[in-house]
Formats: sequence, C-alpha cells, structure tokens
Amino acid sequence: MDRPIEIKALSKSYGDTLAVDRVSITVDKGEIYGLIGPDGAGKTTVIRTLVSLLVPDSGEALFMGRTVSAYPGFVRSHIGYMPQRFSLYRDLSVEENLHFFGDLFQIPRDRQRRRMDELYAFSRLQPFRTRLAGALSGGMKQKLALSCMLMHQPEVIVLDEPTFGVDPVSRSEFWGMLAALSRDGTSVFVSTAYMDEADLCHRIGLIHHGRILAQGTPDGLIAGFPWPLYRIDCENPHHVYTILSSTLPPDQLQLFGSGVYVVDRGKNGLRSLQRTLRTAKIACRGISSADATLENLFLELIR
Amino acid sequence: MYRIGYLIQKEFRQILREKAFIGLIFGMPFIQIVILGFAVSTDVRHVSIAFLDRDHSRFSRKIADAFSVTESFTGRGALTSERQAKELIDSGVIQAAVVIPPGFERDLLSGREPALQMLIDGVDGNSAGIALAYASQIVARLQQEAAAEARGGPPSPGAAAPVTLAPRMWYNPELESRYNIVPGIIGILVTMITAFLTGMAIVREKEIGTLEQLMVTPIKKHELILGKVIPFAVVGFMLMNVGIAAAGLLFGLWMEGSLFSLYLMSLLFMLSTLGLGIFASTMARTQQQAMFVTWFFSIFALLLSGFFIPIENMPKIIQAVTVINPLRYFMVAIREIYLKGTPVLYLWKEALFMLLFGLTVIIAASLRFRKRIA
Repeated sequence: MDRPIEIKALSKSYGDTLAVDRVSITVDKGEIYGLIGPDGAGKTTVIRTLVSLLVPDSGEALFMGRTVSAYPGFVRSHIGYMPQRFSLYRDLSVEENLHFFGDLFQIPRDRQRRRMDELYAFSRLQPFRTRLAGALSGGMKQKLALSCMLMHQPEVIVLDEPTFGVDPVSRSEFWGMLAALSRDGTSVFVSTAYMDEADLCHRIGLIHHGRILAQGTPDGLIAGFPWPLYRIDCENPHHVYTILSSTLPPDQLQLFGSGVYVVDRGKNGLRSLQRTLRTAKIACRGISSADATLENLFLELIR
Repeated sequence: MYRIGYLIQKEFRQILREKAFIGLIFGMPFIQIVILGFAVSTDVRHVSIAFLDRDHSRFSRKIADAFSVTESFTGRGALTSERQAKELIDSGVIQAAVVIPPGFERDLLSGREPALQMLIDGVDGNSAGIALAYASQIVARLQQEAAAEARGGPPSPGAAAPVTLAPRMWYNPELESRYNIVPGIIGILVTMITAFLTGMAIVREKEIGTLEQLMVTPIKKHELILGKVIPFAVVGFMLMNVGIAAAGLLFGLWMEGSLFSLYLMSLLFMLSTLGLGIFASTMARTQQQAMFVTWFFSIFALLLSGFFIPIENMPKIIQAVTVINPLRYFMVAIREIYLKGTPVLYLWKEALFMLLFGLTVIIAASLRFRKRIA
C-alpha cells in the first residue's frame, strides 16, 4: 500500500531565495499532519508543489506512490485542495458552489445530492443552502470551502492555512470536522501559523526559513525539550525581560504575555536564577520550573 | 467537454446576478449611441464669422449674405479693423473673419483675380480645414455668377463655359458623419466589453483564490479558457444587438447588409479582443492591473482604427502600424456592411486579417496562461 503523501528532500528557490530546503515529510493514511511555522517559512511552497502547481528544483513529492510532477492529472483529480485565503464564489449560493465543484469532477447529480446531504449534516450548512456565499460568516465560509473540496470524496486533502483569520469558536468546529474526516480514513495535510493548533494534529513538522526544524508527535517533540525551563511570573514581563537581557545571555530568554521564560542552558539551577533576580532587584510573584510548550521549543530551535 | 458547459453555466449565473452587468449590457450601448451619435460629429456647423468690408460694394455685401445663409456659418456682423478681427478671434467670439479688400468688385468684374483674405482660428485643425473648404465653395459660386454677369447674361454659344462639378455622394448622400460614427461606436463597444470583461473575470478568480482551486481539479487548460471566453463572446453579441437596435430606433439607421455577415465578422474580430483579455489576465494580479493593460492596448487600437482620424491622413509610418490593428479591419467591415450592404465575399481581406491576427493573439495568450503558478 502506497503512502498517501511522501515528500523527499524537496528544494525550491525563487531567484536567489531558497524557499524550501530539502524538506522530507510523510503522511500516513488517516493521519492529520500539521506543517507549522510563521509566515514566509515555506509552507505554501511545499503545499503548492505537493498539489502539482509548482515544479521542485530537486527532490520529489509523491502522491499515492506517484511522482506529482510526472502525473499532475492524477493528482488533480484525486486530491482535495484548499488554497490559502480561499474564498469561493461570493455571488453564488452555498448550493451552487457545491454543485459547481461536484460538476467539475463530473459527479452525477443524484450522487451529488446524496453527498451534499452528508456534507450538510457534517457542516450544518443546510439552513443556509440558498444563501449567497458572500453573505456567510467567516467560519461558515471556511466550512463551505471545505465542503466544496470534499464533494469528490478525496482520500487525501491538503489545506493551506484554512483557519487563518477565523474566530476561535469556528476554528475549533473546523478542526472537529478535520478530526472526523481522519477517523473515516482521510489523510489530512494542513499548514498553520497557530502553534496552539498543533495539539490537534497527530504529527507535526516545525518549519522555518524553508527547513524542517523538528518532526514528530506534539507530545514527543515537547518531551524532547533539551534544557531545564523556568518561568518568572511577574506584573510586567516586558520590563523584567529588558533588565534580564543585560545580565543573562539574550538567547536564554523568551518573552511571553504570561511571563518571562528562562532556558537554563548552563544547567545552573533554580537557585542561581533566584540569586540573579535578587541582585538585579527584580520584583516578581514567583519563579518555578515549567513544562515546555511548542512555542518554547520553536523559539529554542530557531535560536 | 461537459466541464466547459458547467463553467459557462457558472459564469452566466455570476453575470446575471450582478445588476451592474445587466446595466452595462443594455444601458451602455444606448447611452453611448445617443451621446456620441449626437455629439461626435465631424460636420462643421455654425462657425461664427464676421466681415471686414473695405470695398462697400454690391458684391462685397453679396459675399456676406452668402456666408450667412448657409448652415455652416453664422454671421456675426461687420468689423472695423483687422485688429478687431484678431481680438475677436483671440477671445473666441468668432472663429473666422473674411477681409474684403478695396476695389474687390471692380477687379472681379474686369476679369482680374482679386484676393480675398480669410482668417481662421486653427486650434482645431480639422474643423478649420473643413470650414475653409466650405468658404471656398461659397466664393467659387459667387465668382461664377460674377463671371456670367461680366459677360452679360447667359454664356453665348462658342464661349468657353466654366466646367462645374456636380458631386453625388453615395451611401450617405447628406454626408452625415453620424452615419459613419454610429456603426463605429458599435465596433468600439464590442472591443471594450469583450476585452475588459474577459480579462477582469479571469483576474477576479485569481484575486479570490478560486483560480488556484480550479487548477487543482481535472479541468483542462483549454476548457478553463473556453469556459471563460464563450460567455463573454455571448455578452458581446448581446451588446451588439442592443447597439444595432439603438442605432435603428434613435437614428433610423438600419443595416443595409445582412446580419449574418456582421455576426461572422464580429466573431472573427472577437478572437482578438478575447485573446487580449486572456493576455491581460496573464500579466495582471489585480483587476485594476488587468484594466490598465487592456486600456493600454485598446486606446491604441481605437485611435489607429480610423474611427476618429481617417487612416489615409496618418503619416506613412503610422499607417504601417495600423496594418496589425484588428479594429481597423473591423471598422471597415462594420461600416461597409452597415452603409453599403457589402457582402462578406468582398470583405475577404478584412476577414482573413482578423482571423490570422485573432488566432495569433489567442494562441499566444493561451500559451502564457499556465495551469501552474510559476
């Protein structure tokens, strides 16, 4: 059985800029794989290569065991793809949008009907089926976009930042839909800039400047955080961060809204840190050993 | 192949849902034909003219009367000096002045050739030229009368009678420029609508991201292009029919030739405009850019089409450029069919040029249009 997605040492540059640097990713059947990284990290380039819109400079992408650049037609008729910032035909109704994509894949109308009922049950868009897509809320638009790409029942779906700019409630509903698809055996390859969505994936890859920094299950990656980590709980993290930057090496400090994290790379221990704070006369509510989050890991890896 | 049908169906849904489109298709031809048909006129009428009469003879008064009775000129009275003539032309009160020198009548009747001076505001060179031609006609007629009078009565047999030219204008006997302009407007409308709308419709899908989605479906490139182009060709034909109706109802100008000939020529012409639309869409990322590219090309096509300025009046080198302007051939074709009822057979040269040019544009643009991003 061929793997749904297999990307091997893929590289792509635009002029002098290396956008993707030897990226290798595999996605198994029924798995949700999250490609996580900031804007400009190369997520969209990887995805566009995978869906046959770009030709790689070196390396290759395989879809169901076939090289994408050699079989673009096969990929295009079997993959489900939702591009970045994708927003449907605003002047067509929900139903017309669904029919249009069903028609493009030449699904007979009676089968489209059945499929639409399934998708309505899934997305709860039934009451809005005659409404124009432009008049839907942001969250509903995303659900409709997802439904459109599911009309032809693809076994593999690829989504580029699908939850970008969507409100938190709709975001969680959207991820609920992805989880349901994966339970039914659909493989999901999704990119996002939101670290908190990583826990909703089975496996993730952290990408930065075109390179995969780390890959694995979210828990596994976090457990692999190499150094002791302390969190300074304080009123004004900004202020504390500025003062500490002059005493501690700045690459050991991570500024968050909830406090300042110190990566104890020298393994000096909690005592040593408390001493430093006293000498610098920094007032804080407490210092404690902290469990690393994915954000801590990411900041540590891009150091 | 069915997929083209679905694309066309979708495109029409979108066109019909947009109220502005309906207004564009039906309102625009009417408004343009009404306004341009009445306003754009190369006929010169009511040129304000004044006279500086230094002869004060029967004949000099006759000249002033002759100018004043034609529609082309409106008499604005007598002048007292050349200075005044200059001032009035400068200030725009009059557009022309006729200076009749002293001894004009005497010289004329005695067979000498007296000079008549005409001062014309030449800012609008075209109108000035036409006004001068009208003036010359008037003066020539008077001269003949004077010659007859000098000989005393009608010309006697044996005497050399002056040759008169009696022109008869065919197809447009009154030389109404409107009859030339209105079919031209229909040609321009077709250019604008098909090129602009096609380009913008493709780029709009780029803007909202649906084009990227369409690329990752089984749809073929040519299906995508045809699915975009056919609806706007249909819109172009609808618009043309509205234009034909407007020309007939408003100006009583109905086509002499067959509708079929016009349709055939329009179809050949649209190859170029639709191709331009596709081309613009491959160059542009936003609808504004697409409009700009289309505008850039269509303004050239328009100015070098012979719509405003006859091609024969252009410098040789520019005339050579117009050879690759499909609108030039369509202008000829639409005017020929409209005014003369020329059968397609005699327009084979125009048809061939439009076909060759259209195919080249559409093929080149389609090659630029890729189903890949880069």
